[in-house]
Amino acid sequence: MHWISAARSEPMKGQGIFFDGETAGRHHVDVGLSPDRQALVISSDTLPAPLRWPLPDLRALSDHAQDKHLVLTRHMPTDDEAPRDPARLVLRDPVLVDWLLTSRPSLRKSDLHPGTGRHILRNAVLAVGAVALILLVILPALAGTLARLIPLETEMRFGRAVTAQMERFLGASENGALDCDAPAGRAALDKMVQRLTDGRDIGYDLNVRVFDHPMLNAFAAPGGHVVLVRGLIDEAETPDAVAAVLAHEIGHVVSRDATRNALRVAGSAGILSLILGDVAGGAVLVAVADQMLNSAYSREAERNADAYALQMLNDAGISSDGFGDFFDRLAREEGGFALPEYLSTHPLSAERAAKARDNAAGQDATAPVLSEAEWQALRQICD
Amino acid sequence: MSEIRYADGRYSGKSGSIFGLSLTVAILTLFTFGIYRFWGKTRIRRYIWSSAELDGDRFEYTGTGLEKFLGFLMAVVFLAIYLGIVQMLLTFVGLNLLTEPETEAEMVAQALAFNLTFLSLVPLLLFAVYRARRYKLARTRWRGIRFGMDKGAWGYAFRAIGHYLLTILTLGILLPRQTFHLEKYMTDRMWFGDTQFEQGGRWQDLYGAMKHVFIGLAVIFLGIAVGIAFQMELLLVVLPVVGYFWLMIGFIHYRVQSFAYLTTTKALGGQIAFDARPQTSTVIMTYIIGGIVISVVVGIVTALLGTLAVVSLGDMSGGAPSFGVMALLGVGYVGIILGVGAASTALIVQPIIAHYVDTFTAINIDAANVIRQRVADKGADAEGFADALDIGGAI
Repeated sequence: MHWISAARSEPMKGQGIFFDGETAGRHHVDVGLSPDRQALVISSDTLPAPLRWPLPDLRALSDHAQDKHLVLTRHMPTDDEAPRDPARLVLRDPVLVDWLLTSRPSLRKSDLHPGTGRHILRNAVLAVGAVALILLVILPALAGTLARLIPLETEMRFGRAVTAQMERFLGASENGALDCDAPAGRAALDKMVQRLTDGRDIGYDLNVRVFDHPMLNAFAAPGGHVVLVRGLIDEAETPDAVAAVLAHEIGHVVSRDATRNALRVAGSAGILSLILGDVAGGAVLVAVADQMLNSAYSREAERNADAYALQMLNDAGISSDGFGDFFDRLAREEGGFALPEYLSTHPLSAERAAKARDNAAGQDATAPVLSEAEWQALRQICD
Repeated sequence: MSEIRYADGRYSGKSGSIFGLSLTVAILTLFTFGIYRFWGKTRIRRYIWSSAELDGDRFEYTGTGLEKFLGFLMAVVFLAIYLGIVQMLLTFVGLNLLTEPETEAEMVAQALAFNLTFLSLVPLLLFAVYRARRYKLARTRWRGIRFGMDKGAWGYAFRAIGHYLLTILTLGILLPRQTFHLEKYMTDRMWFGDTQFEQGGRWQDLYGAMKHVFIGLAVIFLGIAVGIAFQMELLLVVLPVVGYFWLMIGFIHYRVQSFAYLTTTKALGGQIAFDARPQTSTVIMTYIIGGIVISVVVGIVTALLGTLAVVSLGDMSGGAPSFGVMALLGVGYVGIILGVGAASTALIVQPIIAHYVDTFTAINIDAANVIRQRVADKGADAEGFADALDIGGAI
C-alpha cells in the first residue's frame, strides 16, 4: 500500500495554515505525523502548545472548489450543525495532500449527531401526519361546515355563475343560448322532476335545464341547479334511465357536493405543489397527486348520490333497470379502457350497473316515469 | 500602528465544475422526486462559498442537507395547516361577495377577494426572506469564525409591509428609502464572530443609482405626450419601446449600484470598512452572453431531436415510432430542461457572483485578527419556509 511505503521512507511533514476556531487570526503551522504514527501534530510559535489530531478523527470538507487543497477538521461532539471541531487546517502542500487522500479513507466520512434518526423520524411523521390531517380530515370537514353556512341566495348565484361558465365551455356565445325549451318536452321534464321529488324535502328550489350539445353528460351545480346534456337523453333507451340520472344529480344537490367540493379544492390546491416543489416534471406529479386526492372524495360522493337515487326511484315506484342499462352502455363505451379506479372520479360503471340491477330485483310494482308520448316529447325538447 | 492593509476578494470557481455539479444534483433530484434538492442546494453552496476568498482565505459553507430537509418538514406542518384553512376561508368570503358583477367596482372587489389568498402569504414570504439570510450567515465561516444574525424575522416582515405600502402609495418615489431601511434592519443585526456590522449612509444617496429608472420613465411619458400632442404615430411607438428597455436596464442598474452603495457604507465593529465596485454593464453582458450561448445550444439540440423525430416518423409511414426513438426523444426533452438549469448556473449565476466577489475589497483587514468566535446558531427552520414557499432561486 502506498501510505506504508511513504511512511516508512520518511515521516510525513509539511506546512499549513491553521485557524483555531476561537479567533480569526491566522497561524502558519508545521504539520507532521506523530512518532507513534497515530496522529497529526500541528505546531507553531503562535500556538500555546502543539495540537494532536488522531488520524481516524480527521475529516475533509467536501465539494471544495480547489481540489488540489485539503481543508481538514476533525470529528468531535459539538453543538454545531455537524459534530465537527470548529478549527480548520488548510493544506496546500501536494505531497502532504496526496498522502492524506490516499491513506485516510475516513476523511470523506460524514458523521451525524446522536439521535438524528429519531429526529428525522419525528419530523417526517409530523409532516406526513399534518398534511394527511389537513387534506383528509380538516379541509373536508371545514368545507362541509362552510357549505352549510353559505346563504341560499349566495349559493344560487354561485350556481348560476358555474352553469354559465359550463355553457360557455360547451360553445354558447351567450347565456341561455344552449337552453332547450320546447313546451311539450319541458312539460314532460317537469312531470319527471315532480314525480321524483313528490313529498320530499330537497332544501332547494330545483332548477333543471337541458343543454343542446351531443355530449353524454349531466351535472349538478351549487344552489339546486341541475343540467342534463342532450347527448344523455339521445343515448338513453327509456325515460326511466333519464329519471335515474336526474335522481343521481338531485342526490348531489341535496348533499351540497358541488359547493363543498369547490371549497375543498380551494383549500388543498396550494398544498401539494408546496410539498413536491420545483422539480423537472413536478407539474405532472402535482397533477397526478391532485387527481388521486380529488377522485377519492368524488368517488365517495358518487356512491352516495347513487344510493340516494336508488332510494328516490324506489319511493317513486320507478324501475332501476334503466339505470343499470345506462351504466352497461357506459361500460361498453369505455370499451374495456377505463382509468384505474383510484384515478377516476367515478366508481367503475360495471359495478354501478350491478348495484342498480340488484336494487331492481327487489323492487315492488313499478310504473314507467313517462308515457310513450311524453318520452318522445322529451327526446325532442331541443328541436 | 502599522499601515492600513486592503484585502481583495477573489473568485476561482470554474464553469465546468459547477455545471457538472449542478447537472448531477438536478438528475438526482429528479430521481428522488425532489427530496435530494436540499442536499443538492447545500453541495452547490459549498462549492460557491469555497470558491470565494478574501485575503487569500476561502469562505466555508457548513450547512447540511439533512437540517434543510428537517426544516422543510417543519415548515410544511405549519404551512399545510395555515394555507389550507386560510385559502378556504378566503374562498368562502369570496363566494359571499360573489354577485353577477354589475359595476366595475364590484368586479374589482371580487377579483381582490379571490387574490387575497396570495396576499395572505406575503408576511410569510418576508419572514422567510429574513430567516433565509439568517440561516445562510449562520452557516458561513471565514478563517473558522462563524457569521451570524440576530432573531427578528417578524419585525422585518412587518416593517417590509409598511415600506411596500409607502412605496406603492408614492408610486415608487420612496423605493430608495425602502431599500435602505430594510437593508439597514438586516445589516445592524449581522455579526462576524463577536463583532457587529453596522449600516451607515443615507437613503437619499440611493437616488443616484435610480437615475436610469427615471430616464426610462421620462422617455416613455415623453413619447406618449409628444406623440399624442403632435399626432406622430412613429414617436408614439418608438419612444415607449426605447423607454421600456431603458427602464429594465435601469432596474438592473439600481440593483447592482444600490448593492455597491450599501456595501461601501457598511462597517464591521467600527474597524473594518468595505469597498464594492460591481459594473452594471458586466452584469448585463453576462446575462446576454449566457442567454445567447444557452439558446443556441438548446436550438441545435432541439433541431437534432426534431430531425430524428421527423425522420423516424417518415420511416414508419404513419405507424408508431419505435420505442427506442421515443425513449431517446423523452430523455432528450428532460435533458434539455435539466441542462438549461445547470447551464444558467454555470454561465449566468456563477459569473455574476464571481464579478461581485472580484470587485469587493475589505479595508483594514488586520483588525479581524482579534475577532473572536461566536456560539453556534441552531438555525431554526434552516430556511425551510423559503424552500417550501420556493423563494431564493438556485442558490
